Amino acid sequence: MRRIEHIIERIEHLRPFSQIGGRIIEISNNPDCSFDDLVEVIKYDQGITANILRICNSSYFGLKKRITSIKQAVSYLGIDEVVRLAVMENSADNFNEEQKGYDLKEGELWRYSVSSAIIAQELAEKKHIGNLSLVFTSALLKDIGKLILNTYVKESFEDIMELVQDKGFTFREAEQKVLGIDHAELGARLAERWNFSRATVNIIRYHHDPEKAPRKDPFIPIIYLADSLCMMTGIGVGSDGLAYRYYQDVVDRLGLSDTELQKTISTFLDKLRGIEELITVSGGN
Amino acid sequence: MEVFVGVGDMKVSNDPEVVLATYSLGSCIGLSIYDPFVRVGGILHYMLPESSLDLAKATRNPYMFGDTGIPLLFTEVYKFGAKKGRMKVKIVGGAQILDQDGFFNIGKRNYLILRKMFWKNNVLIDFEDVGGSVNRTLKLEIGTGQTYLKVSGGGTRLI
Repeated sequence: MRRIEHIIERIEHLRPFSQIGGRIIEISNNPDCSFDDLVEVIKYDQGITANILRICNSSYFGLKKRITSIKQAVSYLGIDEVVRLAVMENSADNFNEEQKGYDLKEGELWRYSVSSAIIAQELAEKKHIGNLSLVFTSALLKDIGKLILNTYVKESFEDIMELVQDKGFTFREAEQKVLGIDHAELGARLAERWNFSRATVNIIRYHHDPEKAPRKDPFIPIIYLADSLCMMTGIGVGSDGLAYRYYQDVVDRLGLSDTELQKTISTFLDKLRGIEELITVSGGN
Repeated sequence: MEVFVGVGDMKVSNDPEVVLATYSLGSCIGLSIYDPFVRVGGILHYMLPESSLDLAKATRNPYMFGDTGIPLLFTEVYKFGAKKGRMKVKIVGGAQILDQDGFFNIGKRNYLILRKMFWKNNVLIDFEDVGGSVNRTLKLEIGTGQTYLKVSGGGTRLI
């Protein structure tokens, strides 16, 4: 069997998301989701509820009162925020694992995913782009293809790095050339298979190639830029380093000044201690 | 004992058992200084070049910025008896995303602010590994002054 077919075949066997997880992601993609929608999904799962409450009570949110129920969490943080926490709760285990192919120790890919999701959300707020939960969730899950491709990247690491170091390939282009598929495309196919929304599938597919994305998609440039800023901070970055392309015109189209971009980074760093706790608590450590 | 230096952070030590370590240097700069005579050293890990961006944040965390963090690193090691003329100065980081040649090249600007300040203050650089599109890790053994660099996708080497 050809390698690419073998990789794609693995999609069939991977189940990073439980049925509940899939429904939580569906809810997060719906801008009109309600408290009842969420409770309907999680009410039979004590574990999920307990974990969401644990995340709510991390110092990231700085709530003075201890949150003891989902209803209370929603009244303090709002339904959108609680849905985002539910998505985090549900994704952490998979993303938390060590990814040797990408030289990421346990917890590092999770650290990267949460960090870039937080930055994406802030940029989306700045640009008044609605549906923050969709932005957050998609940014959080955009590297899901790495969970599968990791093994193959490890096997072919020298070939991939040769293209990156000597031929000017981006890491994604090198994955495509050597393995026949890259982590963005593989992630998009996973997302399609699990019936994620069209918007999320597109974000995952084009998060390194925003210039190929449908021009009117408002989310992809935001998530692309957040990913770039996150790479620059270096937090949770692995062997692929910063070996991706910077599209100045995509960034220009967003109309954010240099000062605004630097301020986005500094705001993120200013909250870093709380964010680190959010990452650790949600990662179950 | 490894002492972790975070992003926008600085640590100084004269404890020979301590290894200062900073990870995830993307466009940030990791600056390591060490005086072998008194065996004192420190690492600064800053993310942005200039504190004029946000003075309130710079007051809260001066290590986030090059122009406020660099003088503090030197001041702190001087307190332990270190002297500028004996200092081993090593810098790594300042990476950029491919094709990031425009104005928003934080890696390059982080490097330039350091060069400008060093030139004004007569500080010589003993080693530098900056730029490219790689992620770096920097470690400094206080007992020996040995400094190690790990580049993403490669091994660790003595610098």
